[in-house]
This record gives sequence, structure tokens and C-alpha cells, in this order.
Amino acid sequence: MANQKQGDGSREQFIPARYQPSLPLDKLIIQDGSEGAGDRMDLDVLIVGAGPAGLACAIALAQLANADGSELNIGVLEKAEALGEHSLSGAVVNPRALRELFPDLKDSDFPFRMPVSRETVYLLTKRGRLRLPTPPTMHNRGYYVASLCELVRWLGGKAEALGVNVFTGFPAAQLLVRDSAVVGVRTAPAGLDRDGNPTAGGAAPNDLVAKVTALAEGTRGLLAQTWCQWQRVPSDNPQIFALGVKELWETKQPLDRVIHTLGWPLPNDAFGGSFIYPLEPNLVALGLVVGLDYRDSTLDVHQLLQTLKRHPLLADLLAGGEMVEWGAKTIPEGGFFALPERRAGDGVVVLGDAAGFVDVPSLKGIHYAIQSGIYAARAIFQNLQTGASLAEYDRLVNASYVARDLYRTRNMRLGFRDGFYLGGLRAALMTLTGGRFPGGKYAMHADAEVARHVGAETASNGGVSKVDAVFKSGNATRDTIPSHLIARGDVPPEVARFYSHMCPAGVYEAGDGGGSLRINAPNCVDCKATDVLGPRWTPREGGSGPKYKRM
Amino acid sequence: MKTLAVLEQRDGKLRKVSFEVVTAARRLGGPVDAVVCDTTDREGCAAALADKAKAGGYRAVVFTATATGRDLAPRVAGRLGVGVAADLTDLAADGDAIIGTRPVYAGKALQKVRVTARPAVLSLRPNIFTPDEAAAGVKPETLSVTSSGRVKVSEIKPAPAGTLDVAEAQVIISGGRGLKEPANFKVLEELAQAFGGRAAVGASRAVVDAGWRAHADQVGQTGKTVSPSLYIAVGISGAIQHLAGMRTSKVIVAINKDKDAPIFKVADYGVVGDLFEIVPKLTEEIRKLHG
Amino acid sequence: MKIAVCVKRVPDSETRVKISPDGKSLDEAGVKFVLNPYDEFAVEEALRRKEKAGSGEVAVFCLGPAAAQETIRTALAMGADRGVLLQTDKIPADPYETAKLIAAALKPDTWDLILFGRMAIDDYNHQIGSLVAQLLDLPCVTAVSHLDIQGAKGVAEREIEGGIEVLEFPLPAVVTADKGLNEPRYPALKGIMAAKKKPLEIKPVQPAAGGMEIVALAPPAERKEGKIVGEGAAAVGELVRLLREEAKVL
Repeated sequence: MANQKQGDGSREQFIPARYQPSLPLDKLIIQDGSEGAGDRMDLDVLIVGAGPAGLACAIALAQLANADGSELNIGVLEKAEALGEHSLSGAVVNPRALRELFPDLKDSDFPFRMPVSRETVYLLTKRGRLRLPTPPTMHNRGYYVASLCELVRWLGGKAEALGVNVFTGFPAAQLLVRDSAVVGVRTAPAGLDRDGNPTAGGAAPNDLVAKVTALAEGTRGLLAQTWCQWQRVPSDNPQIFALGVKELWETKQPLDRVIHTLGWPLPNDAFGGSFIYPLEPNLVALGLVVGLDYRDSTLDVHQLLQTLKRHPLLADLLAGGEMVEWGAKTIPEGGFFALPERRAGDGVVVLGDAAGFVDVPSLKGIHYAIQSGIYAARAIFQNLQTGASLAEYDRLVNASYVARDLYRTRNMRLGFRDGFYLGGLRAALMTLTGGRFPGGKYAMHADAEVARHVGAETASNGGVSKVDAVFKSGNATRDTIPSHLIARGDVPPEVARFYSHMCPAGVYEAGDGGGSLRINAPNCVDCKATDVLGPRWTPREGGSGPKYKRM
Repeated sequence: MKTLAVLEQRDGKLRKVSFEVVTAARRLGGPVDAVVCDTTDREGCAAALADKAKAGGYRAVVFTATATGRDLAPRVAGRLGVGVAADLTDLAADGDAIIGTRPVYAGKALQKVRVTARPAVLSLRPNIFTPDEAAAGVKPETLSVTSSGRVKVSEIKPAPAGTLDVAEAQVIISGGRGLKEPANFKVLEELAQAFGGRAAVGASRAVVDAGWRAHADQVGQTGKTVSPSLYIAVGISGAIQHLAGMRTSKVIVAINKDKDAPIFKVADYGVVGDLFEIVPKLTEEIRKLHG
Repeated sequence: MKIAVCVKRVPDSETRVKISPDGKSLDEAGVKFVLNPYDEFAVEEALRRKEKAGSGEVAVFCLGPAAAQETIRTALAMGADRGVLLQTDKIPADPYETAKLIAAALKPDTWDLILFGRMAIDDYNHQIGSLVAQLLDLPCVTAVSHLDIQGAKGVAEREIEGGIEVLEFPLPAVVTADKGLNEPRYPALKGIMAAKKKPLEIKPVQPAAGGMEIVALAPPAERKEGKIVGEGAAAVGELVRLLREEAKVL
């Protein structure tokens, strides 16, 4: 595993993919009826993940069944202990899909915090700021600032009121299959000891079997990845991701606008920026999002956010305030060309972030997730009624604004692959030409294939430490849980250090000089960055991980 | 405001909390009578105490909030037809009423209650009220218990020697990653021994996760919440999870090589430097004191 | 075996405490409510006792607001048979008033065992079990970390300072559960489905004011700024002096 000296020969580099275990498909896909399950439950439709996509799908299905006078047994599995606790987003929400899902409700009935009335985009330097004209893709007038946790809890209540069974605390761990068809999932067991053996009070996995399974696991969904690899569903480009680290602050100074920043403190060869949104005048969500194709192995998104907070723009806003919550999550950023060629198969559909329905230039995904849930519901309902193919779901999405929006900005994020300034120029041209510039598509590498040069270690620059951050995520995972992360034990020191910087929750620690990798698995907040660039993530017992309240 | 203070003894000797109760009861301003129950039969004891409280016309009856007091106080209160203002950390007379302060929500807030019930039954958190000298001379009446209860104590098993639980210790010496390896906890154990059986050795989550110490010793959010008189954090940086478990300690001492470690923010006294030099020296000094 | 378990709906232990504008209560906005963890031990113990006896009933009683139905459903999902919500928007400040309402609800039936958690993690009162026992004239054992029941006789262990007390008592009795009594079971999918259909009776109650009133709720005082005594072993002498003379803990 010698490190590769690249062309310029001056800097040591490595490719993260070389140290990444592959997805253990043999363990993730099991035949229906395999031994080892406790309870077995039969459903008409099983939805994996109670996020905006999954819950919208459940609600739309229940609405269709009610209107038709038929009865549907719909179950939603969610790994978080309670609704919304693993949901995290900026977020400014385009209400379009919610309006379609609830035609009788007004915007004021939705659990939004406030409408966006003013917005500003800044290019930051270390001490200064340059106000930029708001790019057309980033106009948020008519949209609303919201907490995704709150939106999810609200959607969950609507689903339950319609008779949907929402099972929180049950992570889906394996796909149950028959031939090439998905017939359900097996959940993760609970109550294992540190070595993975069941304890007296433990609970065996459950099998949930359904006519249709909708995978709405969110970003970097394990079973969605598994299904695509198993069924060899290609995409033009590999999916790429960004990591967002977010804090919620009660501030002394009020904020009256939505702010986005670009530039400092990100290096020029990293793509990203910050968001600063008021949920209330004195309750501010702020976060930093950085593409995981950054080049410097010691880049640390959490630390960069701490650095950003010292900029006068933020320091003034936050002075005297208190950080009340912290969280992190990845975002699929590949856009149009990274969508799986099809998102429907035999007994299965893939929704929302798990499919990659995110538009980076407008920083939006929630309404696409909800919309994909609505379309999936229509296709599933038809499938159950008439046996029509689930491919109808793909047809509906492809003919909709979801595909249109993503197509229009198809190369914009990709254009930044060569750095910030060239990317910015390309983005401007793409916008002017309605996406027609430069024609064709930019080819992308998966994030793990992008070479990292071994950066210099710098001392922590203060702010919130990673341990304190994890505490503020509400993470109270049982200490005695077995590790859910599949890592190679023999990674070189520079790769161990890369993991320790990449992970915002302090899960990975590089030993002093020796290069041994320590894994503090209970710290994990399920952001999935590790799964993109290093050790593989698998689900742990239900209720583990963060307990986000207003993220 | 005539007050009845209910004391605790062990092996015929009054426990320290008893003097705390007498001291606090005197704050209510009236005469204080002290009693002690010489039996493990708490039902019988509760009946006798309730009779005494009624017959003596006491305005308040004050208990300790120890394992024993927490069991006894509501039994007496129930017989008197009132509730207990439990686990007070402060109290004062307010005209004819009593204002008590009690930690709620795991110490994240303090509740003030105004007690107008007659008599007011109160229990006090141990280690909060500093006993005054006058309390040392208290001569409690030993209550005679006649009725026998339905619940019988058949045995009292002593805790295994030398394994004082961190939740019970008056002094806790906790170690973290700064100890470098498990064998080095020996220096903390020696310091604990110097305190002569009052001290226990605790641990941070990091070292428990690493398998250096047992989970039962872990202090913090996912371990035990402690509030000893003295907490000595050695080689612990002070993650919030740890602070959540020990911030209600009366006095906190931090020993750490990193002067910027967050633990110094909650410590009353800090010593910066090499713990392997500082702790043995401290052990020596404590031994001299207890010599 | 016929067992009653009395439970409470409490803010999750991770709750960040924010005081509401009345200055007397918790601001409940955004607060997650759960089944009191000590009551979970009580529910688990009840289920195990019933399972061991082979027959019987576990009934769950809860005093609280309408939303406490969810708390009762949690216990039903674990396996309890039915629930009773004594519905009121205000939990009395005086624990004795709470105990009276619960005792009145329990009284019409005869129970072999009445279980409580040893305390609620919000108000730290640890007394409702004892007060209810007193009101129902039943023997009571509190903060139990081990329980054995043979016929109509129980043996319990409870931790006291420096030891463990072993107690014997006749049934029926009130027992309050401490950590260590058992490991509560993980909820099962079938249990969650079944819980939706189990009977849950709602009885409105009117608590009396009693002899206690909450006059204020405030954040704890910030610890005063500590001091660095010095560096290295040379500072130990001064540290010991301060601990003796200023802090008075040695």
C-alpha cells in the first residue's frame, strides 16, 4: 500500500478509495426466509426512512387509498429513536411539493418558521466581505426558512393520522430478496454487546415484507447503494457528496435575512460555502458545506466552520449568544448526471436524497424529495391496483420539474471540480446560457477516487471541540454498542489522520505517530461522510446516533 | 418555628449529615429538637416519628435526603397527610411558610417551593449545608419504637471492601486519557487510599471506552452523575459529557498538562503540569494530613 | 398476578432547560417527552412478574396531560395490557395531592403488586410510591435493585450508603424500582402494532392545591471562576492549603 508519488513528485498523495472496504453485498442482500429473524410482518407497502420523501410517499399513498375506498397497510421504518431526530438540512424550503401534497392547506398551515424576505450573498476574505449579486439560481423569495426536524415531525403526524404505521427506532439493515425482486428488509438487531453477541435483553432483527419497498433512506442510503450495485444500475457520473456541518445559535443580535457566503475560509481547491438562516430573529441556523472532493487531506469541515465563526460577519452576530444544537450530514451533489439510470425495479423504488434529487446551485432538495415521494406513491398505487410497472415512477419524475431543474444545472457543480474561480466563471456562463454552456457533460470521479495531498497538521483553532459538538447533537448512544463502522485496520498514518479530520464527530482518532486508527463508534452522528471516503457505515441498533430537535 | 430534626446514626455514632440537618433546621429560627431512630424498622420508626411530630406540635420536620432519609421522610409525611419538600439545597422561613430550594431536571434548574403544609416535611441534600460548631454538641432523643412494621430488614450486606462506589464517595479522583495507559491508574488509587476509605477512583468515557476501566467507574452523561465534596480530575480534558456528570461537585480540582483544557473552566482550583509529578506529591501531602 | 404500574411523562434527560416567561415552569417548546426511565424499570418488572406467573394483568396508570397517552402507549407497546390516564394539565406541586389522585384510582381494585419508579427525572420528588402505599395502607419498599417474589412473600434489595439492605415483606405491596432492577426490553414491532388497539381509559381529574406552591424556577448559579493555583509539583502545597482553609474540604 505504498503511497503514490504523483507527477509533480513534490508532494505525497494518496487515493482514499485504495483504503476503502467495498460494500459487503453478500451480507446486505439475503434471501427472503433466511434464518435469524424474530418477528415477521406483512405489509402492502414498506417505506424505509421517515424523512420528507418517505413520509410524503406514505401520505400520498394513504390519500390515494382513502379516495379509492381501498385499504392499504403502509409501514414506515425509521432508525432514529423519534421522528425527525436524524433529519438535518439548512433549510430554505420551496413549498411547491407540499402544496401539491396538501391541496387544502395554506402555506401558513405548514410548519415553516418564516418567509424569506431579504437575502444576501457575500464573497468573504479573512476580514472583509464583498457583496455579490444573488445568482439567479439562488433566489429564495417566496420560499420559507424551516427546520427539517420540525417539518418531518409534522409530516409524521399527518401520516399517522391517515393510518400509516410509523415505526421509529428500527433501522433497515438488509434487503430481503427473491430472485431479482426486492420483497422487504430485515432490521438491525438491538442489544448486542461490544463483541456483537446478543445480550439477555436484546432483540432479534425483524423481517418486514411488502409488495413494494420504497428506499427513502436519505443521503448515501445503504440499501439504495446496495440495490444499485446488485442490479448494476449505472449512472453517467458517480454520485459525489458534500459534507455540511451545522450549528443552531440563540443570538443576542437579531438577523433579518438569509445569508450565503463563498470564499474564505475554504481553500481555492475546495467547493463550498456557508449558510446563515434565521429561524426566528434570534434563533439562527448556520452551517458550512464543503464538497468531499477537496484535495488537502487535513481539511476539516468542522474546524473550518469554527474558523468561519471568527469572521467579523459572524462574530458580531454570535457575540453573547449560545450554541444550542450541532449536527452534520452529507448532501448528494452530483445532480442530473449522477442520478441512477432508473430509480425503479422489481418491487422497489428509490426516493429523495437516496436517489440524488438535489439541485446544488439552488441549494434545494427537500421539495424534490417530497415530489419524488408523491410520484412514487402514484406509481406504487397503480402497481398494486393493476400490476402496472413501477417504471411509471421514473416516467413521472423524468417528465417533471424535478428532472428539468436538475438538467438545467447539470454541469454547474461539476464545473467546480477544478477549483473555485474557474468554477465560478463556468457557473456564470452556464446560467447565462440556460445550462447549454459548455455542452456535453463534465466527467467526474467518485470522491474517494480523488487524490489527496498530505497536508500539514495545524493546531486546533478553538471554537467548539468535536466532543462538545457530539454532545450538542444529543447523541447518547449506548457506550457498549459494537462498532458499526467497517474499517481496514492497516491504514497508514496519513490516511488515519485524513479520517480524523474528515469526520466532524471525532469518531476517528489517529494514534500518536504510530498510525493506529482508533474508532470511537458511539460518537457517530450518521452523517455518512465516512462511507463516502473511508470506512463503511452500517446501521446500529434503533435509537442510536443524534437526537436533533430543530436542525 | 418549632422544628424536629431527624438524625441518622451508624454503629451508634451520628453521621455527618445529622449535623447538617441540625444546622439547617436552626435556620428556621425556632427551637430544634433532635431525634434518632434506633431501629432499621422504618415503618415502626415512621409511626413513632409521626406521633412525636403531632404530639409535639412541630411546625417542621427535617430529614436527610440519604437512602435512608428518602425512604423514611415520605412515610412520615404520608402519616401526617402532607407531601415532602424533597432534596432541598437551601431553606428559609417566610412568615408562617417555608421557602425551600431544590435542584430539578438533573440540576439544570433550581425550583423554589413555598411550603404552607402543617407540619412542613423537608429533606435536605447531603454535603450541602456546612455543619456549624453548635450542631456538634447535639444530644438527640432516641425514639422508642413500639409498633413493628410489615417490612423487615433481614440482612445488611456490606459493600465489598475497598470498592467504594463513585456515586457514594465523598472524594472522587477521576482519570482520563492523560494517564496514558491503564497501569498508570495506580497513582490515582494511591491518592484515593490516602483519603482513608472516603475516596473512589472514577474514569472518563474515553478510558472506559478504551477498556482501561470498568463502566461502573465512569463519570459523566452516559455514566454516573456524582456530587462529592471534592472531585479531582486528573488528565481529563473536560468534554461536556464528563462535565455533565460532575459539575455539581462541591469543590473541583483539575490537574492537566494543557492549560487551555476546558476542565479548568469548571475547576475551582487548577494545577497545570505533569500529573505524574503532581499526583504523587499530592498523595504525600494528604497522607501527612491524615497521618 | 394483578399488577399496577404508575408512570410519569417527563422531559427527556437530554433536555436543555429553558425557563418559561412565568418564571416558574419549563418552557416546553421543542422539548421531547418520554416515559420516565425509572418507570421503565417498573414496567419491565411488572411484565416479567406476570410472565413468570403465567397469567394476570398489567395495568398502567399515569397522571398527566392528554399527550401522556403516548407515554402510556409506550408501556403498552412493551407489553402492558391496559392503560388509565388521569388527565389533568397541571401536575400538582404538592406530591401528596398527586398521591391522593393515584391512590383513589387504584383503590377500587385489588392488586398483588403496585410498582413505581423510585423517582421522576424531572422533579426528583421520590415519594409518590411511599405516599400511595400509606394512603392504601400497604407495605412499601423503595429504590429496589433486586426483587424476588415467592407466593405472597417478597424479598427485595436496596442500596444504602456503604451496603445493601435486604428486606422481606408480604404482598400485596408497593415497590419502587431503581436502576439495576432489570434491563427494560426493546420495543417490538408487533408490540407497537398491538399497543394501538389496547384499551386506554381517560379519566379527567381535578387536583387540589395542597400545601406546596412553586414560586420560582431559575437556572443554577454559574460556578464562580476558578483559579490556576500554579504549575507542577511545586503548586501542591498551596493547593492543599486552599483546600483546607478556603474550600474546607480536607
